[in-house]
This record gives sequence, C-alpha cells and structure tokens, in this order.
Amino acid sequence: MVLQIIVNGTLSGLTYVVMALGFTLIFGIMRIVNFAHGEFYMLGAMFVVFLFGQTGIAFFIAVPIAGVLTGVFGVLCERLLFRRLVGQELPGMIMALAVSIILQSLALLIYGPAEQTIPRPFSGTWNLFGAVVPWDRTLVAIGAIAILAAFYLFLRFSRLGLAMRAVAFDPETSGLMGVESGIIYATAFGIASLLAGLAGALMAPVYTITPSMGGVPMLTAFVVVILGGLGSIPGAALGGMLLGLCESALATTLDSTIALIVSFMVVLAVILVRPSGLMGRSA
Amino acid sequence: MPAMLEVDQLSKRFGGLIAGDNICFSVQVGQIFGVIGPNGAGKTTLFNIIAGHLPPTAGRVLFEGRDITGHSSDRIGRSGIGRTFQAVHVFKNASVRENLRRAEVIALRHHPFAYLSRRKSARADQCEIAKAFGLADQMDSIAGALPYGLQKMLGVGMALMSSPKLLLMDEPVAGLNPSEKLAARDVIRRLRDDWGITILLVEHDMPLVMDLCDRILVVNHGKPIALGTPAEIRSNTEVIDAYLGEEYEFA
Amino acid sequence: MRKIAIGLVIALLATVPWIIGGRYAFHVATMITIMIPLALSINLTLKLGQLSLAQPAFMGIGAYTGALLTMHLGFPPVISILAGAAFAAAIALATGPIFLRIKGVYFVLLTYAFGQIINLIFQHWTSLLGGNNGLFGIPKFSIAGLNLGTIPGGYYALGLVVALTSYLALRLFETSDAGTICDSLNEDEMLCRSIGADAHAWRVAAFTLSAFIAGAAGGVYAFYIGFISPDTFGFQASVDLIVMNVIGGPTSALGPVLGAIIVVPLLELLRDARQYQLLVYGISLIFFVIYFKQGLVSVIERPRKLSNAGHA
Repeated sequence: MVLQIIVNGTLSGLTYVVMALGFTLIFGIMRIVNFAHGEFYMLGAMFVVFLFGQTGIAFFIAVPIAGVLTGVFGVLCERLLFRRLVGQELPGMIMALAVSIILQSLALLIYGPAEQTIPRPFSGTWNLFGAVVPWDRTLVAIGAIAILAAFYLFLRFSRLGLAMRAVAFDPETSGLMGVESGIIYATAFGIASLLAGLAGALMAPVYTITPSMGGVPMLTAFVVVILGGLGSIPGAALGGMLLGLCESALATTLDSTIALIVSFMVVLAVILVRPSGLMGRSA
Repeated sequence: MPAMLEVDQLSKRFGGLIAGDNICFSVQVGQIFGVIGPNGAGKTTLFNIIAGHLPPTAGRVLFEGRDITGHSSDRIGRSGIGRTFQAVHVFKNASVRENLRRAEVIALRHHPFAYLSRRKSARADQCEIAKAFGLADQMDSIAGALPYGLQKMLGVGMALMSSPKLLLMDEPVAGLNPSEKLAARDVIRRLRDDWGITILLVEHDMPLVMDLCDRILVVNHGKPIALGTPAEIRSNTEVIDAYLGEEYEFA
Repeated sequence: MRKIAIGLVIALLATVPWIIGGRYAFHVATMITIMIPLALSINLTLKLGQLSLAQPAFMGIGAYTGALLTMHLGFPPVISILAGAAFAAAIALATGPIFLRIKGVYFVLLTYAFGQIINLIFQHWTSLLGGNNGLFGIPKFSIAGLNLGTIPGGYYALGLVVALTSYLALRLFETSDAGTICDSLNEDEMLCRSIGADAHAWRVAAFTLSAFIAGAAGGVYAFYIGFISPDTFGFQASVDLIVMNVIGGPTSALGPVLGAIIVVPLLELLRDARQYQLLVYGISLIFFVIYFKQGLVSVIERPRKLSNAGHA
C-alpha cells in the first residue's frame, strides 16, 4: 500500500517537476511570471494530436517534434513580445495572460471545445513488488527522467547553460562580462516552452485534451514553484516531488476540493512566511 | 532634565559580525552631536538602529525618557524624530513646491483617520523653510533637476515638516563640494540656533565634525573608542591610531 | 472645462438604454454598472502599486452574504447589499495587514491563492451556498415597497447609483490627501515613513475600501440576476477586470469606467463565441501593453504620472 502511494507519487512528481522547471526558469532569468505556461503544455498536446492522431507519425517521433515546435513558438513569443518587458513584473504578467488567452482562442477556433482523442500508444500495467504501475505512466516517467537529465547536463556543462545560470544570479555583472542577454532570454524561454510542450506531448495519451487543459498543469507548476522557490531549479525539482508524494498520500483520504483548498492554503502560508520557498533566493 | 536621546549599551550582531558593541552615549537638548569613525566602523548600523530600520541585538534607545527601542521607522517619524538620508530622497519628478506640500500632507495625515488641524505654531511654514534652505527662488523647479546640494537642502526641509525635536542626519555633507559643505554647516547650526532642533549626525568628514559638533562619539569596528568634546577627541591617542593610514587632518 | 464636458457625455450615454429600450439594452447597461465598481476596485489596488486578484472573491463574498441575508433572515435588500459589502470589507481588513506586507509578484500570487480558496469554499459549502450548482431564488430587489423588477430599467438605475457612488469615491480618493499619500508611498516609501507616514495603515485602508466596492457590486449582481454560482467569481473575472483597466487606463479613476463601457458590451456580444472573445481580449491586451500603456483615458485626460504599478 505504502509502496503504491510512493510509486504513484513519484510518477506524478516527475511530471510536475518538468512542468515547474520551465515556469521557474523564465521567472529566474526574466522576472516574468509566465501565465501562459499551461497553454504551452496544451500546445504540445495539440501538436501531438495533429502529428500522431491525425497524420499518423509514430508517437516516439511526434513527441520530440511537438516539443521542438512549442519551443520555437516560445522563442518567437519571447522575441516579439516579452523581451521588451524583461524585469517589469506586472506588464510581463499581463502579457503572459494575453498570450495564454490567444492560444486558448486559437485552439478553440481550430479544434473546438470538445475533447480530442488520440489512439493510446500503450496500455497495460506491470508489477513492482506488489505495486501496480501502468505502462503509459511509466513511459511518461521515463521520458521525464530523460528530459530532466538532459536539462541538468545542459545547465551544468554547456557554455550556454553556464551563461544562463550567471544571468539568473546576477544579470548586471553577467552583462558586463559579455554575456549577451538577448540570447539568454531567448534560450530560457525556448527551453521553458520546450519543456512544457514535451510534458504536454508526453501526457497527451494519458489525460483529456481540450483547449482549456492547461489550467491544472499551470496551477500545479505554480504551487510547486512557490514551494520550491521562484527562480530556483533545485527548488522546482524538490517541490515537484514533494507535491507528487503528498498528493498521492492524501488522495485516498481527502475530497478533491478540500485537497485543493489545502494546497492553496499551503501556498498562502509559504508566501507569507517564507516567500523564497524552500530553496529560492528572496525576491 | 532627561537627555533628549539616550543610547544605552546598544549592541548589534549580524551572525558572527559585531557591528555595534556596547555603545553608550546621550544627546542633550540643543546639542549638535556627531558620530564619526572610519569606513565600516558601524556608524551606519548605529544610525539605522536609532532610526528604526534595524532592531538592536541588545541595549535600548530612549527618546525624552521613553523607550523607543525596536520601534518602526514610521513610528519614530511620528514621535518627533526626523531624519535625512545620505543619498538624496526627494520626489524627483515633482516641483520643489509640490515636494514640500506632499511632505506637509504626509506629516499631517500620517494615518487615514488622523486629521490634525493645521497648527500654525507647531508646524514649520513651507515658505519659511524654502527661504531658510535657499530654495525660495526654486519653488517651481523640478526637484530632480536641482543641483545636488539644493536637493539635499530640500530633503532637510521636508524632514522638518513633521516638526521634529531631534533630527538624525545621515552623512549630511556626503557628495557636496567644499562651498556647499560650508553652507550645509551653517544650515545645521541654524537648525539648532533658530529652530531649536537637536541634531545627531553621522559623518565621515572629520574637519566638519570637529568644527560643528558640541560632542563627538568615535567608533571603530563597532566599538566606541572615544566620547567627548572636539578638543578632547583631538588629543585622544586611540582616535589618532584609528585614523592612521587614512589621511585625516585634524582641523 | 474638459471634465464637465466628459461628465455630460457620460451622463448622456447613461440615458441611452432608456432611449433604446428593450431588455437587451438594459441588460448590457446594468452589467456595465456592475462591472464599473469592480474595475475601480482593482484600480484602487493598482494605486497601491500592487495587483490584487482577490477582487472577484470579495465580489462573491458580498453577493452570497447579501443574498443569504435577505433569503434566510428577511433583511431588506438595501441593507443586505450594504451588509454584504461591509462583510467583504471586514475580511479585507482582517487579511490586509498580513497580505499587504508582501509586495510585487508574490502579492499577486498571494491574492490569487486567496481568491482560489474563497472560490473553492463557494464550491464546497453546498448546504449554505449551493455549491457548484449555485444559489437560486434570490428575491427581487425591492425598496420602500417598490419592486425593481417591475420597472423597466429598475435594476439599471440601482446599478447606476452604485457605479456613480463608487466612481465618486475613487475620484475623491485620488484627488485628496489620500491619493497624494498613496502616490508618494509608491514613489518613495522610505521617505514617506521618515516623515511619519503609517504606510501600512494607508495600504490596508485602500485595500478595505476596494473590497467594500467589490462586495457592493456583488450584492447588486446577486439581486439582479437572481442566481449566483462560483464560476462568476473566479480567475476569469479577474482577467476581465484587468483587461478593462489596461484598455481604459490605470492612472485615473475614469480609466476603468471607460474600460468597462467598452469591454462589457463586447463580452455580452461575444458571449456565445468565446473563442472570438478571447482572441479580441488577447490582441487588445498585447496592443495596449506594448503601445498604449496609459490606456484610452490618456486621450481624454492629461495623463497623471503613471503610478509605479507598471514597473518593477
């Protein structure tokens, strides 16, 4: 029983981490709360609907393509809309709101409000010491781990990754040392959107696909990031896993509305008591 | 008669760093009291504690006999203690007149329900202030466009709007050229002589402090190393040692 | 002179529904008058240099309280609406001192979380509030024996009274010492505090007033529609209010009024074509944020200094 809770919690937690990473990345580097993050997730899912569901490309190929397409779209948004608002928290938020709204409206225009269905690429479950593990969630988890590993390696060992960390830590000095902020912002936004798109694409077979599907992942990312600390990447990882495990533990006992109330109260408490979250720097 | 301001065994630690260690002094009514010390000596920390921006780790601050230790900066502002800032704080996009008007409004309506009637006697008149600080012919100039020295004067003028009995001045002559410094010195004297305001200032400029202050506290590494009149300080060997290596002329 | 001209224009505009007549015209007009206090309510928080996403929650608190007071305790609707607004204000007064210590992005997220909690309570408390199905059967608004439902444009008149009062209250706030102090606090809080300004008290006062206005609008809404449900008081409502403030202009009380006058008919018109509504919203937001930060009101009034709400 406990093992099942841990397994479920870990599976959800991994996806939460992927979602939260992009969100916290943009805030850490550009001080913009990307309210459109959920819609990038939806975009990834929609691309999969088109590539896999309608055009028949293999799922394993459709997912990365969907991710890349979303990433490219993110870079476009950054270049055209967000770059001029770097550091301006309020206008940045409103702009993100605008992008979110437009994406939803486009999805509604193209696909309509009804649920999109795609064939399920996997089914069935396997057994881990008595805990039941669905195959599709497993592959999502494997995908998530791969993504996280790649991201970590990028951040740690590539020049661009180093530059990004520098800009997140101290934009002025980084600028003085020759790091060109424009490229960093584009990369950050691009990667964040890529991550959200990949998450959406991976999860497309598992969850319902509608134009408004971005709402809940957005909420989740938001809770995770507050817990872990706005702008902190390790915080996002920690917060994501924590949330996954707690949710899993409480899902059996609490009514879903009450569970949400509790999550938001935790968020409230964290913001009031320790806004920088578990691992973030103070705002 | 109790001292206007009494600092009693004030200490401040930031983790392992001792920024203030058992500092004691008192400022009498009508005095100009100076706190001076080398860079990093802890003067600013002391100032910020008195002004309500930092709580001390130990010790008390008493104003007119009342304990004001740990009070917030705005509560202190309402108690009759004003302050000026080292870096100029004025409303840069507003005219001088508007700046003074705002300061008056803020002083009178400090709380949504406060409605002090415009007490002529206790409150400094905007025109008087403008004249006293050399701003009379600049009333319509934009504050941000004024020369630095005049901006600082405006800052002092605004601080006066709350009719303070004690004025805390944070490096009042920082950033001023020599002639501006002399003007500032005269203004500070006039604050005491004409307006009856007691002054506590924290400064870097040794000659000015020697010239202006009635009593001086010298701090170094957070510790008080000398307290007395300018004459006493001038001949104090510890003080001379502390300043060795920095070029100070004891004017 | 300009101000009187604008006042006349708006007064004239206000009579349009009676000229056109018909339920639809009155409906749109009444909704405008309900949205105006709400848009003003967010505007007031912007004056503090903050964005509060809790205003729809306060609206909801005012709506449910007002409705229940009349339905279960038989209070006359006028009293209920005022009591509802007062209750919303009381909650703001209680939470304000805690919430307003937080600034910037975190405040936005805080009020968002708070708004969600209130909304979830609306959804969950089925026995008292009707839960997700909502609260039905709110009686018609009657005052001194006069049932507003029977007069054409009766509710519109009520809405006008509330909207006008809210606008005047905000205008007064803006132009009085309160406005001066709030602007000054935004610009240089340390300076204001050194002169003795109780920054916190001012912020809580403004926040409380904003909740009162939102609660009053909620009460009017409840008695007008006769039915309220949690969806009305969620994040989507905040988005509407933000759009109104961005288009109208956040710097003056007139801005949100203009914003409401423009946006509400659009909302109603596109009610069945949500995708187009969203598209128009999104594009206008982008346009205004980039090119027209001061909003439409700047065309009419000489723009006052933009409060620091727009900048980090």
